[in-house]
Formats: sequence, C-alpha cells, structure tokens
Amino acid sequence: MEFKVRAYRFNPEIDDKPYYKEYAVQDFPGMTVLNALMKIKSEIDGTLSFRRSCRSAICGSCAMKINGISKLACKTQVNPEITKFGIINVEPLANMPVVRDLIVEQESFFDKIKEVRPYLLGQRDDEEHYKFHALKEGEKIIQPVYYKSEFQNLTGNNDTPNCILCECCYSECGGVVGNKNYLGPAALAKLYRYSEDPRDNDRNGSRLVNGSKPDGMWDCVHCQACEEFCPKGISPVKGIVKMHEKAIKNSINFSSGAKHIISIAKSIGETGRLDEVKVAFDTGGITGLINDLPMAFGAGLKGKIPPHQA
Amino acid sequence: MLKHDVVIVGAGLAGLRACVELRKKGIDAIIVSKVYPTRSHSGAAQGGVNAAFDENDSWESHFFDTVKGSDYLGDQDAIEILTSEAPANILELQRMGVVFNRNDLGGIAQRPFGGQSFPRSCYYADAVGHMMLHGLFDNVLKYKTKILYEYFVTSLVVDNGHVSGVVAYDIKNGKFEGIAAKAVLFATGGYGQVYSSNTNALINTGDGMAVSIKAGVPLMDMEFVQFHPTTLKSTGILVTEGARGEGAYLLNSLGVRFMSKYAPKAMELAPRDVVARAEQTEINEGRGVDGAILLDVRHLGKERIMERLPQIMQLSIDFEGVNPIYEPIPIRPGMHYSMGGIKTDNNGRTVIQGYYSAGESACVSVHGANRLGGNSLLDTVVFGRRAGVDIAEYLKDAAFTKFDESLIKRDEEIFEKLKKSNGKERHGLLKAELQEEMRANVGVFREEKAMKKAVKKIEELKERAKNIGVDDKSKLFNTDIVEAFEFSNILLIAEVIANGAILRKESRGAHYRNDYPERDDENWLKHTLATLDAQGNIKFDFSEVTITKFKPQPRTY
Ligand SMILES: Cc1cc2nc3c(=O)[nH]c(=O)nc-3n(C[C@H](O)[C@H](O)[C@H](O)COP(=O)(O)OP(=O)(O)OC[C@H]3O[C@@H](n4cnc5c(N)ncnc54)[C@H](O)[C@@H]3O)c2cc1C
Ligand code: SF4
Ligand code: SF4
Ligand code: FES
Repeated sequence: MEFKVRAYRFNPEIDDKPYYKEYAVQDFPGMTVLNALMKIKSEIDGTLSFRRSCRSAICGSCAMKINGISKLACKTQVNPEITKFGIINVEPLANMPVVRDLIVEQESFFDKIKEVRPYLLGQRDDEEHYKFHALKEGEKIIQPVYYKSEFQNLTGNNDTPNCILCECCYSECGGVVGNKNYLGPAALAKLYRYSEDPRDNDRNGSRLVNGSKPDGMWDCVHCQACEEFCPKGISPVKGIVKMHEKAIKNSINFSSGAKHIISIAKSIGETGRLDEVKVAFDTGGITGLINDLPMAFGAGLKGKIPPHQA
Repeated sequence: MLKHDVVIVGAGLAGLRACVELRKKGIDAIIVSKVYPTRSHSGAAQGGVNAAFDENDSWESHFFDTVKGSDYLGDQDAIEILTSEAPANILELQRMGVVFNRNDLGGIAQRPFGGQSFPRSCYYADAVGHMMLHGLFDNVLKYKTKILYEYFVTSLVVDNGHVSGVVAYDIKNGKFEGIAAKAVLFATGGYGQVYSSNTNALINTGDGMAVSIKAGVPLMDMEFVQFHPTTLKSTGILVTEGARGEGAYLLNSLGVRFMSKYAPKAMELAPRDVVARAEQTEINEGRGVDGAILLDVRHLGKERIMERLPQIMQLSIDFEGVNPIYEPIPIRPGMHYSMGGIKTDNNGRTVIQGYYSAGESACVSVHGANRLGGNSLLDTVVFGRRAGVDIAEYLKDAAFTKFDESLIKRDEEIFEKLKKSNGKERHGLLKAELQEEMRANVGVFREEKAMKKAVKKIEELKERAKNIGVDDKSKLFNTDIVEAFEFSNILLIAEVIANGAILRKESRGAHYRNDYPERDDENWLKHTLATLDAQGNIKFDFSEVTITKFKPQPRTY
C-alpha cells in the first residue's frame, strides 16, 4: 500500500512561515510512523528533521503530534492511523517553541524537571554503614533492608519512575496552555516519585512546600490529558492529587509554606476545582477553614484555566 | 573556545557514573552528548545487572562465570575488579536513588541470566537500564553539572601524547566548537548500526571508537560482536534474556525445545553466543518458522508476565503484533553488543595521557570473546566510577596542553565540503547496503570467502561515499549532515571488524568460523589491537591476555 505523510515544515533560517509538505511512502508490515519518516529522510528528502534514538519507545526522543495527538512516532503503527484518518499528519509537539520541522525547544521542559529537585534529599541514617568497598576473598556484602511494601508506589508498571520524559503529556497539558510557567505533569510526576521514596529524608517536608510555590502543583487544572496521552501508561495527575492531599494533611507542619498553600487552596475554592481536593481537606482536619471558602464548581475545569488566573 | 578540567563525552551510564564521581568532589567536569542524556541507549537495557548478593552465591563464582563466558579472552585482573566491586556498586546506585525490585527478605530481588551459575541479576521489572539512567542523571542534576547536549564530537585533540580536548559540532546552530580539557573521557557507547537487524539505538554509530582510532588510540578485539538470541523478528528490537531467566522456552517449528541438543544442562540459559548459533543452525537446517524461532512465555501465566515482563509484553504487541500471553513471540538473533572497543587499563586510561574511556566504547577487557547478560550495565558503573576516581587523581598534577585549533577548521571544512557536494549518493542508502553486507557476511557464522567479499564491499562503499551529497544545507539542526558523518564512522568501524575477523583464524566466543571451528589457545589466546597507518590503512598488533586464577578449559554448558 502507498500512503501519504503530510509533514509540518519550518526552517526559520530559510522559511518565512511554516508550511506542509506531502510525501508518498510505500508501507511494509508493521511499519511505524518513525519508519516512514526515516524512509522519507533517507530516500526522498534529507531535510525533513526530527529527533529519534531508541526506536523502541524507551528514550522519549520521537514524540510529535500524529494526526493531532501527541505520541511517540516509533510506537505508532502506520496502518491503524491510515484506516482512521487516511493520512499521516505529523506536526511538532505543542506548548514548546518549534526549532525546526518536528523538533521543539525542550530547555524549559527540562528546566522544570530540575526545579523539583529530582533526587533523594539526605539519606536514611543507617546508610552510612554501607560505604563503598571492593570485596575480599570469601567476603559477602551486607545489604540494607527495604521491604516491597515500602516501594509499592514505585515498582508498578505504570508508576512514575517509568516516565521517559517524552513530553507527550506536557504537550497536551491544559495547565501549561493556561500558564506557560506551570511545572507541568512530567516534573510533578518526578516530584511525586521522590516524595514517595522511602529513602528520601525530606524531614521538614520541603518538597511539598517547594512544589506548592506559584506555578507548582496547585496550578494543575485536572484536565486528565497527561493520563490520557502518556505512552507509558503513567498518570501524573493521580500523583498530583495525592500530593495535594498530603500537603493539606501536613499543612500545619509547614512553616512558611502553609500560608501559601491555604491561599492557593482558597483560590481553587473560588474557581471551583475542589472535587478531589475537598476530600483531602476534610481528612486533613482543617474543615473549618474550608467552610469559609466560597465554592463554585465547574467553571475553570472546562476552560483549562489555572486557578489563580481564573 | 570552551575550557573545562574534564570533558565527558557521552551521557549513558558510564559517562554519568564517572560524572557523579567527579562532581561530588566539586571538580569542573562537563558532559557533552549528541542527544539529551536521557535519550542515551543505556535506557533501553531491560534485563538486569549482575552482582553476587545471596549468601549462597559469591563474587568468586561470578568471577569464574565471567571468565568462562568470555571464552578465556577476558583479562582476569579486570574481571576480578568487575565482580568484587559489583555488590558495592549496586548498593551505591541504590543509595543514589535507583530502585530495584525487592525480595521477600527485604533485599534486592535477583533473576537468573544466561551463563551465570546463580540467579544474580538485579532488576527493575524489565526496565533496569531506564531506572539506572534516570537515577544517575538525577544525580548529575543534583550536582548542578553543565551539560552540552546535542553537541556532536568529531575529533579528539592530542598534543604530544597528552590529550588537549575535543572538537564538537553544535547540532542546534551548526557551529564548531573547541573544548579544551585536562582530561577527556569517552563513554560513547557501541556501534550497533554497523549491522542490519540490531537491537541498538539509531545513534549507536561507534563515533567514539572511530574518533579514537583516527587519533592514534588502538581498538581492541573488535572482531567480537555479540548477537543476541532473542530480538523481534521484524524490527530487531530486543526481548530481554530476563524472559528466559523467568523461564521462557525456545521452540523450533516442530515445537521442540531444541536447546537440549546444544546445551543440555543450561538449556535456554546458555550464554548468548551458544544460543544464537543454535538458533541460526535450526533456521539454516529448515526448522525455523518463517526465518525465525519461537520464544514461548505462555506457561508463565498472565500475572507473572505482567509483573516481571511488562515492557516485553508491550513491545511484542506494538512491534510484532503478538500478545505473548496467548502466542509465542517470533524472534531471531540480532546484533546486540560490541565486546571490543577503545583499549583501556583497569582505570579507563588509554595510551594517551589524560584520555580515558569507559562503558561499551571501551575494552578493558572484561567481556573477552563473549559478554554475559547483565555484565555490561555492571561494566558501565564499575569502570565509569573507576575512571572518575582516577581522573580526580590525575588532575592533581595535570595541566592544559596546547590545543591545535586548526583541527576545528579541519572538521568544519569536512562538513562544509559535504554540504557543497552535489554528489548523487545518499548516505542513508549506502548505510543500508553496508549493514546488510555485514549481517550476511560478518555475522553469526563466518568464513574467509564471505568476509573477503564484505571487505571488498566496504572498499566499494568507501569509494562511493566520496560522492555523497546531503540535501540539507542549513546550519539549524541539520541532522542530515550529522548522519552523513556518522555513516563515515560506521564504515570505518565495519572495516576494522571485518579485517579483524578475517585475521583471527579460530572460533572463540561470539567469533565463530566455519573454516576454523575450534578454539586455538596456542595461537590465538591473545587480544588484537587495530590502529591506522599514515595512509589510513588498518594495521594489527597483539597483546597478552592476563590470566591469574583460571587456566583455559574447554567451554561447555
Ligand atoms: C536493547 C538493549 C538491552 C540491553 N540490556 C542489557 C541488560 O539487561 N543488562 C546489561 O548488563 N546490559 C544490557 N545492554 C547493554 C548495555 O545497555 C549497554 O552496553 C550500556 O548501556 C552502554 O552504556 P554506555 O554508557 O557505555 O553507552 P550509551 O548508553 O550508549 O551512551 C553513549 C553516549 O555517548 C554519546 N555519544 C556517542 N557518540 C557521540 C558523539 N560523537 N558526540 C557526542 N556524544 C556522543 C551519546 O549521546 C550517549 O549519551 C543492553 C543493550 C541493549 C541495546
Ligand atoms: S491533569 Fe493537570 S498536569 Fe495533567 S495535563 Fe491536566 S493540567 Fe496538566
Ligand atoms: S509522564 Fe508519560 S507522557 Fe509525560 S513525559 Fe513521562 S512518559 Fe512522557
Ligand atoms: S525513538 Fe526512542 S522513544 Fe521513539
């Protein structure tokens, strides 16, 4: 079968504005969109530009919009797309500036990952016993003990450590549409991943305080896009909601963060997106406070507008 | 011109591990990588990383298994380091934040792997490389490391036997940049793209090895190329050995577990070279299924498959259209790993002062003629760490040496010339021809006649490569020109592999010759060292294999 690929083209060095170019490609069984793009590049038009590396959905390089949806080109089969749309439309991801063709500028995405301090803060005290050393003859190493249950939110198939930083969620995120400074689902999934780690020694809860700063986890508009479009089956928003709950539960312990959280919570109350959060408020034992907040459900959710801008 | 004490080229596991070691000491080390670090191929590693933890296991047994697995070509002093430092390295990763699956006692869970006499492969479902790569990268961020990503390194700059830095092409804006350094580490990974049907990322083009041999650094044991027994039939995408570790069967068209014929004791868990040859023999003798063999995990049951092999299940569905819960997976041997590489000592040092290599780009050699599954990830962290430690020492009395800036100009001109050429050859198509030639004639089974044909083909491709034209003349993110340059690298690596394979007249580990089917310790228990002469022709030399504890014995499984 011959099919058409319609590619977004833009090279600011030579083009005034973006345009689309069509290529006819011959398919083979099991062909992926990445295969098709590579075929075009090597046989027809070497100027067509895109990122790729692993071709097995693990490196996160090849995310792009395929027939309107942010996906991994290497994981998307040509056939079903053609059946559904009659063509393969490829465009760069959204929410990031285009560098050229299907390549977007990722600096801000990665900066946000850095912002959540994606590493263990401190160590469990007994870790000091396990200092690095080569074993001598007959010597056996002693391991620290961590039970399965301690890692239960980190070792499942769809748990956040499986994130490949592909930016699909970020490209579809309603929160980022409304506020380009919003940390976004991937960074927050990372924050969640470390906040769930039994080895993390975040004694004063600084992670959640940090994550609660403006443009942080309270700017999620709960549009669920991240869960829907993640090629790894991860749900960043579930983690975000859990962090909301945790933050509220612990709010009394936050010295500087507490006020902030409460004020943001208030604004959420005003814009109405409290469904999940409300539960947490209740269990958090600060229901008194909640009662003072005016409630108006629904509005912001549809418009994908982050709370404090609604 | 940029200037840093240490330049680490490559942001896979080896590069990142070395980087963490240096950065935590506050050393001015930067990372240069042609892709963003998390896009590196290490992330694709699925199965596991070996270390003896169990009280009934021992690092000495891991030591012996590795020596035997290497078909006695691995250097035993290096293998002793690899295996005795393994457990501490894994714990150190764990301390840095890497998550491993747990056993019921609260220790790290371990699964069996080919050629290992004990279940000692630590894992994170079937995505251990991903977990390690992201865990280490997070630590590189923790130490606020400068990362030059989407920079393509084209040359190593050497002054009088001392390293002076590298030349790199900034893919984002098309500018060449000199980066001066007191020490340079290449952790540039393997060369999977030399072969068609390989498990490697498209970026694995052996750049670091090509750049090194051009700079006068010998490449060691390049004829040893690992073919993995279980790669998806249509795409070459890997199905981890962990699948067999979990109990998968290999079946031929008669539904027979044919490994009983080739490795009656180890069966499916014999080392990769043995299994790959067994499969190819079954296929060649007409007991394949459409040119493939079947990998059957159905008897493990849905639950176990979903818990332990989720990625394999998804890959089989996405890339082969087969759900392994209900159907066996069609697989065949595919190029997987480069045992050879830049010759280094046990601390990553090369013949050039201040120039180091670690990981798959290096040859220490711990894998010898055949790498065991789960030993490569281990190699990257053990020797990445050691290189970091050694560089920190080296810096104490190292200085910047003279950086020959004309090399920047030289590389710039190569690119400019490529851009101006209106040659009619397309590098993408030449690459496909080369890959197919290497698969067919310097593959699982080798013989002189076919390999000589391959060498001829390489000569022809070298001629035709002079006529390569690139479509893309832009400065901005020009991947066309990068691919053209990568092609020249794989062409050079292919030439080294093919010539080395012709030279080695014996069968050892992954190098199997129909015309010399026996191992020949008398003449060939030695490493090959490839260099280039002034005309660019490949020359070979040899070096001793270090044997400490284990005298070579026949290798049966
Ligand atoms: C599919 C697959 C599964 C595997 N599974 C296992 C397993 O289960 N257990 C195991 O032990 N081993 C496994 N391996 C092997 C192991 O993953 C690799 O050998 C190892 O990860 C290599 O790591 P590295 O750091 O040496 O190189 P890589 O991770 O390949 O990194 C190379 C780096 O060098 C950079 N680079 C290369 N060239 C240039 C250049 N010219 N300029 C700038 N930068 C450059 C790249 O950008 C990249 O960052 C597997 C391999 C594959 C292919
Ligand atoms: S649910 Fe929140 S994080 Fe996820 S896409 Fe929507 S706004 Fe973004
Ligand atoms: S959460 Fe999913 S979609 Fe988002 S970056 Fe990670 S893997 Fe990609
Ligand atoms: S190429 Fe790696 S995710 Fe698609």
